[in-house]
Amino acid sequence: MLCLNLWLLIVGVGVLFLLRGWRSWAELGRLTGFAYMLGTAAMGVAWVWELTIGIDLSLPTIFGTGVVLVVVSFVMGRRLGRRLPPKPRLWRKHSLSLTSAVFGAIAIVYFEAMFRAGRLTPLYEFDAWSFWVPKAKAIYYFGGLDHQFFHDLPGQSYPPLLPALEAAAFHFMGSPDVVSLHLQFWFLLIGFVGAAIGLLHVRVPAVALWPPLLLVLVTPFVIERALQPQADFLLDELFALAALLVGLWLLERAGWQLVAAAVLLAGAMLTKREGYLLAGIIIGAALLASLRELRQRWPLLILASAAAVAATIPWRVLLVVDDLRRGGPEAGGAGLLSHADRAWPSLRLALSTLFDFHLWLIVAPVAFAAVSLAFVAGERLFATYALALYTLGIIGFTWITWSFPDLPITKNPALNPIARVTASMILVSAVIVPMLLRELVGRAQVVTV
Amino acid sequence: MTRTVAAILLIATGVIATVYLAKALPNLDETADANSALSYADREIAGGNSILVDQEAAYEARALIPSGETYRVRVGPGLRNATPLTSTYAESWFAYFLMPRRPAGDARWIICYGCDPAELGRSFHERWHDANGISIGRVR
Repeated sequence: MLCLNLWLLIVGVGVLFLLRGWRSWAELGRLTGFAYMLGTAAMGVAWVWELTIGIDLSLPTIFGTGVVLVVVSFVMGRRLGRRLPPKPRLWRKHSLSLTSAVFGAIAIVYFEAMFRAGRLTPLYEFDAWSFWVPKAKAIYYFGGLDHQFFHDLPGQSYPPLLPALEAAAFHFMGSPDVVSLHLQFWFLLIGFVGAAIGLLHVRVPAVALWPPLLLVLVTPFVIERALQPQADFLLDELFALAALLVGLWLLERAGWQLVAAAVLLAGAMLTKREGYLLAGIIIGAALLASLRELRQRWPLLILASAAAVAATIPWRVLLVVDDLRRGGPEAGGAGLLSHADRAWPSLRLALSTLFDFHLWLIVAPVAFAAVSLAFVAGERLFATYALALYTLGIIGFTWITWSFPDLPITKNPALNPIARVTASMILVSAVIVPMLLRELVGRAQVVTV
Repeated sequence: MTRTVAAILLIATGVIATVYLAKALPNLDETADANSALSYADREIAGGNSILVDQEAAYEARALIPSGETYRVRVGPGLRNATPLTSTYAESWFAYFLMPRRPAGDARWIICYGCDPAELGRSFHERWHDANGISIGRVR
């Protein structure tokens, strides 16, 4: 499994070269986590395309797809003028703040404990053994999207990015080991944290970066569920990083940030159908935040979101062709009016879940306090974006409960997905709060795009 | 003033994060210990433990039914010690566990969970059974 994740990292480095390149090898080292998540999203999207057109997922396909992505990225990157930096000096002094050193050590202890807890975890979760892992096993055993299993298993409308990733893990493990599979999600969590640190480290002082990030990592919901072999956390991780990149693009206007966000959003939409809603929340928030620059910003935002949605078209076509359920809401559109009595309870549920101390400790209050402080400090653009993100999130999660009348009004994750989707807002707080507070606690040493 | 509030917010965040990390670490330790104390079967059957009644039935099914064959699960009233989940989820759990074997309505291999053997016909040849009314066999 380590080899698979190294391969995803190598592919991600290739994609990173195409998108922005790197000015020094230390910079590439800083962006390793980000490259890994980019590689995961890019490979995942490519695997879904291959599966939808009938190409089996096997070890040669996994390597071949990666090689094609790396070569194409490298060639196109060279054409765009990207160059590799000179050879690194073997011994070069790097300074590390005391805060970074202490919290970095804490993070290592945290991930070591998560690894030991996840290493021998049995597959208990209902959704995992009922359809996520069986779909992965079907891809592993039969190569493609086996008609019988993808028809008969629950969750027909869920896209196959995660089952493909799990099947790839099975190939690298040599068998469908559903116990060790939990460690694939440990790698993804490390990748997410590494990406967040890599992107924020040069923009945010360490004292503003680490506490919100660590707070999110130790929330009971994350501790309990981050390593479950289901799509929820991968979706949330891709969403949070995409939200950060779009936020950075609003501030810094670097084109690669928007392109990278589109890649991650395409991955999110092919991970779970809720990805469409989450992508809509990010784009909606960015459109609102950039109202004053409508002519310059909106076409680019719309283009990026259209590109991300376009990446999901092959899967949507397959849903129609194979007569699979498309998974729309039971009471969408006008149906909402006939269930108007669910509106207020749904909103109350969305709010109470977001602020539930037993699930997320004080993440949401900290996030809203950070938004307020950023407004007071004059950080209007990013604060508006963050506020729109949370507001649209609450509206979107209200809509989920409202538009599926069969869902009971409860936080019980076995009966209503509200806690699972709210985790996306919690993970986004890990990267948004540091950005909101960055100017209030001093500047980072280097600022770069 | 704003900077002071921001500093207080970050200190509070850091303190709560550290306190809950200190709480989480022993819990993660316990989870690791509990997981490693499980038998191989408990770990592999996992979610199926609340469905199956008898772990051996799963292993026997996997041993007896060739990997290229199809099978069907029949649940009936003759099952003893069933859990509230057995009748609803036995079939879907076996679909997950027995892959690459495929479930099929007309399969010759039958996993009988308290089903009536008379319904299966005379040609049903039982290969394994337990005291809970679970049997595995094949229709000739």
